[in-house]
Order: sequence, then structure tokens, then C-alpha cells
Amino acid sequence: MAAERAGTTHTPAVLPPQVTMGLLDYITAHSLDQDYAPVSERTASERDPRQPGTGLAALVILGLFGLLVATAAVQTSRNAVQEADGHDQLATQITARRTQVDSRRQRVTELREEVDTLQTQYLQASTQGRQLSTRLSRLEVRTGAAAVTGPGVRVVVGDNPQATDSLQRVLDKDLQKLANALWASGAEAISINGQRLSNLSAIRHAGSAITVNGRSLEAPYTVLAIGNPDAIPARFADTEHGLEWFNLKAAYGLQFDMTPEESLKVPAARDLDLRHARTLEERP
Amino acid sequence: MIAGLGLLVGIILGLMLQPDVPLWLEPYLPIAVVAALDAVFGALRAFLDGIFDDKVFVISFISNVLIAALIVYLGDKLGVGGQLSTGVIVVLGIRIFSNVAAIRRHIFHA
Repeated sequence: MAAERAGTTHTPAVLPPQVTMGLLDYITAHSLDQDYAPVSERTASERDPRQPGTGLAALVILGLFGLLVATAAVQTSRNAVQEADGHDQLATQITARRTQVDSRRQRVTELREEVDTLQTQYLQASTQGRQLSTRLSRLEVRTGAAAVTGPGVRVVVGDNPQATDSLQRVLDKDLQKLANALWASGAEAISINGQRLSNLSAIRHAGSAITVNGRSLEAPYTVLAIGNPDAIPARFADTEHGLEWFNLKAAYGLQFDMTPEESLKVPAARDLDLRHARTLEERP
Repeated sequence: MIAGLGLLVGIILGLMLQPDVPLWLEPYLPIAVVAALDAVFGALRAFLDGIFDDKVFVISFISNVLIAALIVYLGDKLGVGGQLSTGVIVVLGIRIFSNVAAIRRHIFHA
């Protein structure tokens, strides 16, 4: 039984070529439709082999083929034209919308200025209003809504020049500590690389960059703090975060340089929108 | 060469009528053309080999076009997108090349 089976397996089985050949070799070798050969053998006896028949059917099919090719070509060129049209239309739309956005932005600025002048006019009219106006401008300084100029300190911090480790770079929390220390030592307005810190600002890490107000900054970081330039450096050294910064400078080689300045200019914070305000109900 | 005349008439007809292809048929058109091209080159080779047959040509042409369209349709439905069509193009491309090579040998004896 075992011998018999061994015998059968040893006889070389005649396998069809599509099994033994690689797929691509098979396709190359049998590129002609295999029906042609047997059919022509079958009909060879019935007609003159040197005059293979090309009859009406072949004519019709070839006509169909021509039609197909022409249609595909026409369709492709038509689509290309349509695509180009669509592209042009989109481009025009984009330009138009961009102009619209620009003009609306312009209008927003105009309206804001108008509101400001109206507000000033209105408040200057009465004693109470003048008090309110003073309070408003003080709050604007505090919240970052208005640009501020005045004496203060300029603090420039940067990474360790031979930084190999992320701890030797200025991190978001280091900048947070610096800002907190400056607030604690009496700063009235602070900007980092031209980004004003408002009461809604966040100093965060995004990828490898630090972002303030959603805009990424690059080292070195120039922190401007408006306040008493004589008092801030002394009080800075007394705050908890200020001490931490001196430690950072000593332990990790971070750059830290504080200089008093006679006149600094801190811009207003961007995108300060009203969120929860509503108008008072008008009294009759 | 009556067959060549048929081809010419078909092309002229297509260019003159410029038939509108419905949108659902559009993705099948290019691959149908490639499949048809394969059938036509196969037929030309068979003709030069002296084994051409009307019926075989008609059947191979129609079945080629239909199967190519079917594979594109199936690819769309299965979500493999153009990859099945790529397979079809590769196989048909190889066939077209080797058929054209055979035709070239017939015509130029080289």
C-alpha cells in the first residue's frame, strides 16, 4: 500500500502550464487568445487557409472599437477643460472672498475706533463718567486691552548655548514662572517677544516651540515688564519663582539678563473679544 | 482592408457625434479602451498568423470589455479603488506588448 502510493507520487504528473509557469511568464507566453488556434483548425478544412475570413462582424466590432477610442479621447479632453474651468473658478472665488475678509476686517477696526471715541465722549460728559473712564483705562492696562508705555525692566532669557538636554532649554513652565515672578514683583504689563500677556493668555508648549496667545515664539525670549525699574529687580530676587530662576541659571546654564529701562512699549493684546458682556437694560 | 475602413468610420463617427458619456459609465471607459486594444492587437496577430476568425474576435472583444468594466466595478464596490484596475492594466499591457512584438516579427521579419 505504502509502496504503491510512493510509486504514484514518483511518476511525474503532467501539470498544465498555468500551474508550473510563473504568472507573468504565462501571460507573456499566452498573450494571444487561445480560442483562435482550435477554431481555425476546425474550420481550416472548410475554406482556403490563406484567406482567413474577415467578415462583417469584424468590421462592425472594429467600428465599435474606433467609436470607443474616439469617445474616450473626446471625453478626456472635455473633462480636462472642465477641470481647468473649475480650478479657475475656485481661484477667482478665493480671491473674492479674501478681499471680502480684508474689507470686513477693516470695518471691524473702524467700528472699534468709533466705539472708543464715542465711549470717551460719553464718559467725559459727567464727573461720574470721568471716574469710570479712569477706572476703565486702569483696567485696560491690567487686562492687556490697551498698549502701554513707561519705565520697566527688560529680561532676556535663552537656552544654554551648549544645550544637549531639554532641561537646558527654556521650557514653557520656566516662562510661566518668570511671568509670575514679574507680576509678583510689581509689574503692571508684560509682553513676551511682542505678545502681550492678558488675563486670558496662556504660555504653552506646542511641539518644540513655546506659544503665547497661540503664536509660537523663538528663543531668545525678550520679556518686557512695565513697572518701577528700581523696585522690580530687588523684589524679583525675593519671590519664590525669581529664586527658582536664579537656580535654573546656575544649575542648567540658562541665559538670564535683567536690565532696567527708562521707556518701554508694550503692545495691546490681540483678539480680546467680549465673551460674557451684555448691555444694561435702558432706563426710560 | 475592409477592417481598417471600419476602424476609420468608427473614429470619424465618434469625433463627429461626440456622444455624451453618462457619469456612471465614465470610470469604465478608459479601462474598456485598454481591454478593447488588447482584443484588437490579438486579432491582428491572429490575422497575420493566418488563424483569424470572426466569431472568436467578436466574442473576445466583447468579453474583454465587459470583464474589464466588471473588475473596475468590483474594485469600487470592494473599496480597493483603483488597485484592481491597476492589475487589469498590467496584465493587458503585457499581452498588448507581446502581441505587438509578434506582429512586428511578422511585418519586419525581425
